[in-house]
Amino acid sequence: MLIFLLKRIGSSILLLVVVSMLTFVLVYAGGQNVARTILGQYAGEEQVLKKAAELGLDRPLIVQYGDWFVHALTGDLGRSWFTAEPVAQALANRLVVTFTIVIIVTICTALLAVALGMLAAVRGGWIDRAVQVLGVLGLAIPGFVVALVLVSVFAVQLHWLPATGWTDFFDDPGLWAAGLVLPVAALLFGTVAGTAQQIRGSLLDVLRRDFVRTLRARGLPEREILTRHVLRAASPPGLTVLALQFVGLVGGAVIVEQVFALPGIGYLAVQATANGDMPLIIGVVLVTVVLVIIVNLVIDLLVGWLNPKARVA
Amino acid sequence: MKFPRMKAAATAVVVAALALTGCSAGGAGGSSGGSSTLTLGSLLEPGALDPGQAQEGNQIVFYQAAYDSLIRRLPNGDLAPMLATDWSYSDDALALTLNLRNDVTFSDGAKLDAAAVKANMEHFKNGSGSQAHTLGDVASVEVVDDDTVTVHLAQPDPALLVSLSNAAGLMGSPAALGTDGIKTNPVGSGPYTLNVSKSTSGSEWVFDKRAGYWDPSLQKYDRIVIKYLADASARMNALLSGQIDAVRIDAAQRDRVSQGGLTIERDSNDWVGFILYDRAGQKVPALGDVRVRQAINMAIDREALLKQFGQGEGELTNQVFGPRSTGFQQTLDGTYEYNPEKARQLIQEAGYGSGIEIPYGTSALGDPAMTAVLVEQLAAIGITLKLTEVPAAEGLTSILEGRFGMGFMALFQPSSWTTISQAIAPDATFNPFHTSSPELQALIEQVRRGDDAAAQAVNTYVVENAWFAPWYRATTLFAHKPSVTVELQAEQAVPSIYNYAPAK
Repeated sequence: MLIFLLKRIGSSILLLVVVSMLTFVLVYAGGQNVARTILGQYAGEEQVLKKAAELGLDRPLIVQYGDWFVHALTGDLGRSWFTAEPVAQALANRLVVTFTIVIIVTICTALLAVALGMLAAVRGGWIDRAVQVLGVLGLAIPGFVVALVLVSVFAVQLHWLPATGWTDFFDDPGLWAAGLVLPVAALLFGTVAGTAQQIRGSLLDVLRRDFVRTLRARGLPEREILTRHVLRAASPPGLTVLALQFVGLVGGAVIVEQVFALPGIGYLAVQATANGDMPLIIGVVLVTVVLVIIVNLVIDLLVGWLNPKARVA
Repeated sequence: MKFPRMKAAATAVVVAALALTGCSAGGAGGSSGGSSTLTLGSLLEPGALDPGQAQEGNQIVFYQAAYDSLIRRLPNGDLAPMLATDWSYSDDALALTLNLRNDVTFSDGAKLDAAAVKANMEHFKNGSGSQAHTLGDVASVEVVDDDTVTVHLAQPDPALLVSLSNAAGLMGSPAALGTDGIKTNPVGSGPYTLNVSKSTSGSEWVFDKRAGYWDPSLQKYDRIVIKYLADASARMNALLSGQIDAVRIDAAQRDRVSQGGLTIERDSNDWVGFILYDRAGQKVPALGDVRVRQAINMAIDREALLKQFGQGEGELTNQVFGPRSTGFQQTLDGTYEYNPEKARQLIQEAGYGSGIEIPYGTSALGDPAMTAVLVEQLAAIGITLKLTEVPAAEGLTSILEGRFGMGFMALFQPSSWTTISQAIAPDATFNPFHTSSPELQALIEQVRRGDDAAAQAVNTYVVENAWFAPWYRATTLFAHKPSVTVELQAEQAVPSIYNYAPAK
């Protein structure tokens, strides 16, 4: 197990170096004049050259990367070229927002999707059909449409919830929670739909297996069969979908972040990319890579714990 | 089969959701709480808050809260004293002497004096800020005495006083200039200071009233909160739900905002239309013929465009000079009427009856429906737009590099001199092929020396020679709650912070 973890960590570090290099090259391959983008349309050529020199853009690419890498090793990711905010600070602030939303959405998705998936698989009939219709609707209706409808009804018409913005938990827990309801609800619609379908299918599959018949024949209570045996055997596909959704949500939350004007990592990534704000782009990419690595590792461990057959040597 | 645990879990989720909803009932609009807080929405977020990096237009309000400027621009555009009590030019317009207030301190306790002004102007001019070019003609800044400075110019700059009421006039504490700290936490002499702990980076800036400020009449609120709302629907929703007091809105949102009981103010700041970049015919020889450029002016059904894409909010125009500028001439607005037949005839006369192909850049952020209409209307007179999609971040570079013969543009209408230096002079950003003529150059030099009639002559020259094909002056819509009074600011995208007051 320890060797497995060490191998994973080693390959992850290599991956981080390669990805940061690739990001550098790709941003430069775009060919945009970053100094000009920062200064806007009216700055003179002299200002543009001055800005380029100030940002070190007049040096060879390899020197720029080397400089960034050495600083990154000491934990210094630089400052945003646009706002001059330290990248580490910007990422930390934005990650709190996005993670809060994504974690709440993931937990709610897991609870609701398991509940709906089980109901649909076990009860069948109209509940099953309703869950399937919900699944199709959830996938068919884009998150931003749900978000706009929710804002229009609950914020603009009823004034129950704030339409935009983020409040720090320690400033006002009530407002913090209120601000989360609509973004979370908007994202939940799609994630629950997809995951519930997956869990329903997986449960139906497991319920048909011989070992379930054997357990029933042995007279075990149906509830115990379902929760202790069937759900456990059926959970790996659901977990994989959840893990994919977790990572997807970090990027996919961008639409919801935009509609609700939330200062999250998704919107930061979009802006930084459009601006060619290299220190921020690399910061966002590194955070995303680390996140994917951690989520995959956790899911592997979790699946192994749930299903001994999946454990690696 | 029964699932008591599942039921319990489902109940818990519902209860939690209700609890969240319940505890939020009083939450909406909480941030605007009372008349002593003004909450504004902003389309753009500011860059570094160092005055040397200050931006104008939409972002100026972030800087105005923390920094005073040497000269204040009143809502109608007139110049009024601020840190400078009065000013005068030498006869040759090459030296501007400003007398300063002697009772002003920065938020770090330092005193504002002539040396501080010199330090700021040099920091601004020599720095890499986006507006540094506005002090491009400044040769040196002389400290005459403690509260007098003289700005020496290499050549006259008719826009200098306006620049000193804008980014170039913002004064920061000399000790903080150039430090990392001032980039995120401004140190100025302005009416407010940034409350860093209450602000959220990339989202919300909270400015608190500064005690002992020299002009309490400019502190109409105890707190000013500026929320960055990049998305148009987020801006409208924040306004309609009461989260913000005022924001610029899109013309398409006009009816919804009016129905929500908000007041809408109107002003005209931008012209919308084509810039015919290659008027010298270097890339597309046909564009070098004035008849072809005039034909383009006649090919566009400007009235239909204004109705369809500007929601009818604007006035048709043929000139790039704004109504408040000295170069503006009402009579020029009837120069080119929509007349495709005459346009075709002009193209024939110019010898391009077989068709003209013009490279034209489109942006993913642009309106494809508008592009389709333009392509169709120009095709009707024998001009084919060869479309190339340009990534948003490369838009400006593609223009400056002269990749396209003509392009769509919505440009600000500032003073005559600024219009000339941004779009008409040989080294102007929006004259990428550096076109000029001895006649035009002579007129520009006269404008530099303050000749208003020459500004009108420049306008007539570029209209008659069809350097542009403007369609309309778009109306800027600014919506606010009835509890706030707002005066729009001439020649600025959004009102200055001094223009807001609680309604009586």
